[in-house]
Amino acid sequence: MHAEVHPDAAAYVTGHQAAAAPGAPAAPALRPALFAAYRDLTRLRYDFPLVLRADAADGRVYEPLTALVERLIEGGAERAKALRIEGELRAAAAGGTGSLAALGKIEGELVDCDAALPARLLAHVWRAAQAEKAASFRRHVERLIVKLDDILRADRARSAAGRSAASLKASFGALHDQAFDFESMSRFLGTVSVQTALSDARRGRIGATLADLRAQRFYAAPGVEALDFRFDSCAAALQAFRARVPDMMRLAKAITLAELEVEGEFSSERHDALFERLAASGLDLRDLALFPDYLVCVRDAQVRGAEQDALLEILAGGLPMKILLQTDDLLGEPSGRAGHVPASAHSRQLAHMALGLNSVLVLQASAAQLGAQRERVLRAMRYPGASLLSVYSGAGGHAGALPPYLVAAAATESRAFPSFSYDPAAGADWASRFSLEGNPQAEHDWPLHEFAYEDADHQRVRVQVAFTLMDFAACDTRYAGHFAAAPSAGRGAARVPAAECVQREAKGVPDALPSLLMVDERNFVHHAIVDERLLREARRCNDAWRSLQELGGIRNSHAERLLARERQKWEQERAAAAPAPAPASAPAPAPGVATPAAAAAPAPGPAEAAPPPSSDEPYIETPRCSSCDECIQINNKMFAYDANKQARIVDARAGTYRQLVEAAESCQVAIIHPGKPKNPDEPGLEDLLQRAAAFP
Amino acid sequence: MTMMATECLLQLCEQRYEIEDYQSAVPRWCTGCGDNAILASVQRLCRDEGLRPEKTVFVSGIGCSSRFPHYMRTYGFHGIHGRALPVAEGVRLARPDLTVFVNTGDGDCCSIGAAHWIHAIRYNMNITVFLHDNQIYGLTKMQASPTSPRGTKSNTTPRGSTLEALQPLSVTLGVQNVSFVAQAVDWIPESLYEVVKAAYHHQGFSFVRIVQRCPEWLPKIWDPWLHDPKRILMLDHPQGIRVSDGLKQVYRSTVAHDPSNIDRAREIASDTDSIPVGILYRNPAVPCYEELRATPGLRTIANLKQGLEAELDKFTFWPP
Repeated sequence: MHAEVHPDAAAYVTGHQAAAAPGAPAAPALRPALFAAYRDLTRLRYDFPLVLRADAADGRVYEPLTALVERLIEGGAERAKALRIEGELRAAAAGGTGSLAALGKIEGELVDCDAALPARLLAHVWRAAQAEKAASFRRHVERLIVKLDDILRADRARSAAGRSAASLKASFGALHDQAFDFESMSRFLGTVSVQTALSDARRGRIGATLADLRAQRFYAAPGVEALDFRFDSCAAALQAFRARVPDMMRLAKAITLAELEVEGEFSSERHDALFERLAASGLDLRDLALFPDYLVCVRDAQVRGAEQDALLEILAGGLPMKILLQTDDLLGEPSGRAGHVPASAHSRQLAHMALGLNSVLVLQASAAQLGAQRERVLRAMRYPGASLLSVYSGAGGHAGALPPYLVAAAATESRAFPSFSYDPAAGADWASRFSLEGNPQAEHDWPLHEFAYEDADHQRVRVQVAFTLMDFAACDTRYAGHFAAAPSAGRGAARVPAAECVQREAKGVPDALPSLLMVDERNFVHHAIVDERLLREARRCNDAWRSLQELGGIRNSHAERLLARERQKWEQERAAAAPAPAPASAPAPAPGVATPAAAAAPAPGPAEAAPPPSSDEPYIETPRCSSCDECIQINNKMFAYDANKQARIVDARAGTYRQLVEAAESCQVAIIHPGKPKNPDEPGLEDLLQRAAAFP
Repeated sequence: MTMMATECLLQLCEQRYEIEDYQSAVPRWCTGCGDNAILASVQRLCRDEGLRPEKTVFVSGIGCSSRFPHYMRTYGFHGIHGRALPVAEGVRLARPDLTVFVNTGDGDCCSIGAAHWIHAIRYNMNITVFLHDNQIYGLTKMQASPTSPRGTKSNTTPRGSTLEALQPLSVTLGVQNVSFVAQAVDWIPESLYEVVKAAYHHQGFSFVRIVQRCPEWLPKIWDPWLHDPKRILMLDHPQGIRVSDGLKQVYRSTVAHDPSNIDRAREIASDTDSIPVGILYRNPAVPCYEELRATPGLRTIANLKQGLEAELDKFTFWPP
C-alpha cells in the first residue's frame, strides 16, 4: 500500500511547501485581499501626507493635507482646483518633495509616511509645546525681573545719591533742565527722612536673585545661548539632566525668592533657614514643570543594555522627558529554529512595562494613526512627567512594494501593534486614563471587512474577511515561507478562513485547513494555506489583544462576572418575592413634617436657636442679632459683641432690669428677652414687668 | 525634603485675622441703623476669607452708606457724589491684584450715579457692590430718593412724593451683561452674610441690594415686612443659597429659584408685595472687562516709551 501525504496538509504541519515542478511558472507575488484597492496611494484621499504647521494659533499643530484642503474649499476656494493641487502635492510628498506655496499663505512643511516621519512629527509638536512653556516662563520671569528692578530703582531714588542734584536733573530730561533749581530741590528732599530704605542684606539678595534670573540658560533670552534639550540617546539625556540639576535648583530658588520679595513676604528670620535646608535633595514635579521638557528619539533596536537601563530610570523617576521609541521592524527576522517564531516586539514589551509604572503617559500607535491621534500626541507633549510614545513606522523595508503607510495601518488592523493610550492626568481610575481609541472594531478579536470578488462562474461573491496577524505577516517577504499557495476551490483539502481557526486548538491535522484570501498583481484571488506556527503566533497575538480589551473595559471578565452574579441574585429575589406580597416599607414622611429622626439631624445652622432657657433668665437670640448697637449703647458691660460681632449677654447683673427692658424695646429685631428681675427692690418693677411681657 | 513652591512658604507664615483687625474708627451711624449690620457682615466676610487689609479696598460716594470706608481698617476711597463706581473701576484696572468693594446708597447710586451704574453693570468688572437702600437721603436729613415709595413725605416732598419708586433689582436685571444680582435685608444677619459671601466669590460685577432700616427718618417703613415673616420670600437653590432649617422655620415663604433663570428673576424682582432674599440671578460665564482688555505684553517703562514714540512719530514734523 502506498500512502501519499496531501501537499496542503504537509504545508500546514511542516511549514514547507512542495517544490515547484521544473518549468512551472514562478509563484505570483501575493498581498492580502483587502489591499486590492490600494495599489497606488497617490490617487486616493486619505490621512497623509501631513502638514506640519508653522503657525498653530488655532491649536492645529499638524493636520492631514486633506483636512486643510477641505477647509479651504469650505472657505470659498474652487473645489476642482483645490483637489487637483492636493493630488499633485500628495504625489510630490510621496517622492520626498512638495511645497505648500500652491495652496496660498500657509506656512509649514509636508511630510509623508516614511521612516523619518515619527521623529520629524514629534519634534515639531514638541517644539510647539515648548514654545508655549517658554512664553509662559518668559512672561512670569520678566514680570519678576521688572518688579525686582522697580524695588531697586525705588530704593536708589530714595537714597542720597538718588536725591542728589545731578540725579534729579537727569531724571527731568534735557528739555526742562533750566526750569528748576535742582540744588534747592535736592536740599529740600534731603530734609525728608527715609525710613523705608532697603537693608544691605536685602539689596544684595535682590541683586543676586536678579542676576540668577537674567543668567538662566534654560530658555532662550537676548544675549544668552539656551541649552539643548533634544537627544538621540536616553543615556545622554539622563546624563545631561543630572548635570543640570544644580542650575535648576538655583533658578527655582531664585524664582521663589523673587516671588516672596515682590509680595513683600520674605523674612530672613523665617525663610533663610528654610532655604538652606531645601538644598540638594532634589526638585519635585511642580518645580520640574518650570523647565523645558527633553525630547529623546531612539530606535527600538538601539534600546538594549545600558540604554534600556537609562530609559527605565527616566520613566521610573518621572523625569520630564518625552521619549519616542520608534520601531521599524515589528516582526523581526524569522528564526531558523524549527517551531520558533519571534516573540512580541521588544518595543511592545517596553510600552507594557511603562504602563505598569502608573505615572508615565504611554501612547502606542502606528505611524498611520498619528494624523488621527493629534490631540493625544499634544497631551503627551504637555504632560508634566515622563511620556513614552511608541510608534511603528512601517518602513522596515521588508514589505516589497507596499508603502510604509499601508504596512503601518496593517499593524494596527491586525492587532500586531494595537493603538492604546494611558494618560495619568485624565482621571483617577483606569476607565478615565486608558483608551483603545484608534483601533478599528475594538470590540472584536479582528476587524471584519466586506470583500467582493468574481468567482470562477463569474458570479459576485461577498464575504466578510477578517484582517489578522497572519495577513500582516503576509505583507513581510521574509515570512513567505509560512504560506503555501492552495489550489483553486474544489480541489485539495477543505479550507476555512484562518481567523476562525485561531481560537480552535486542533490536535493533529484539522479537517479544514486555515487559509487566507490573497490577490496577485492582476487582482486575481488566491488562497494561501497558513502554517501551524504562524497560527500559534496569531493565537498569542489574539490573547494579548484580549488582555488589552479587558484593560479598556471591553469584555471585561470581572465586570461580566459581577453582572452575572447580580443578575442571578436579582432573579432569585424576584422568584422568592413573587408568591407573597412584598413587605410594606415604612411610608416616607410627608414633606414639611419633621420626623423625630429628622429633628435630631446634626449640624444645626446658625439661626437654629437652642431651646430657650427658663423664661426667668434674660437671654438674646444671638444668631439673629443685626449688630445695630442699640443694646451696647445702653450698657456695654451687660451686652457685648461676640467674635461674629453679634450681641450676647455678658453679665445680666452688670445693669438694672430697666436697662434690660429698654434694650428689648429698642432692639430692632426683637431678640432680647428680659426674663424676670433679679432685684425685687428695683423701683418701677410693676411697670417694667408689664412692658417686659411683650418679650416672653 | 524637596523644594517647596512659593505657596507652601507663604502658608507656613499664614496670618489669621479677627474682626477687630478690620475695625477702624467707631461708627458714627445712628444706633439701630442698618449700616451697622452690613458693616458686621462685611467684617465677618473679611475675617472668614482671610482678606489681607493691605490688599482690600472699599470705595464709596456720598451718603450715610458712604461712611463705610472710614470704619474699615483697609484701603478706602471716600469719593464724590455718585462716582463710587468709576473710581472703583479705575482701581481695578490699575491694581488688578486688589479686592475691590463698593458701598453706595440709593441716592448715590440710583440718582446722581445712575449713568455710572448702568455702564458698570455692562463692563462686568470684578467688583462687589453693596447698595445700602434705606429709601431716603439720610445724611442730608430726609429728602426723597429714587427708591422712596410713592407718597413718602420728606423735606423736598412735604405733600408726599409723586413718582413710583425705582426698582434697583429690575433695573440691574434689565442691563446687558448683568452677571450677579442679589438682595438681602439687614435684619436677617444669617442670610445677609451668605449673600455677601456669594457676591464676593462671584467673578464679575456683583450687585447686592441690601434693604436697610433708617431708624431716624423712616423708622417704621419696613415694619410690615419686619413683623410679618411671610412677606420675606427666601430664595433657596443648590446653585444659589441654601436656606437653613432654622430660617425656614421662621420664614415660611421659601421658594426654590434657579439663579440661572433670568426671566423668573425679573418676575421675582418686580413683585412689590414681598421682599425676595437670596440670589436672584447669577451667570458666571459673562466675561469680565479686565479679561477682555488684558494685554499680553508687560507694561514696562521701555514698552510704554516705545509705544508713545511710535504714536508721536505719526505726527512729528521736522522743523524747516
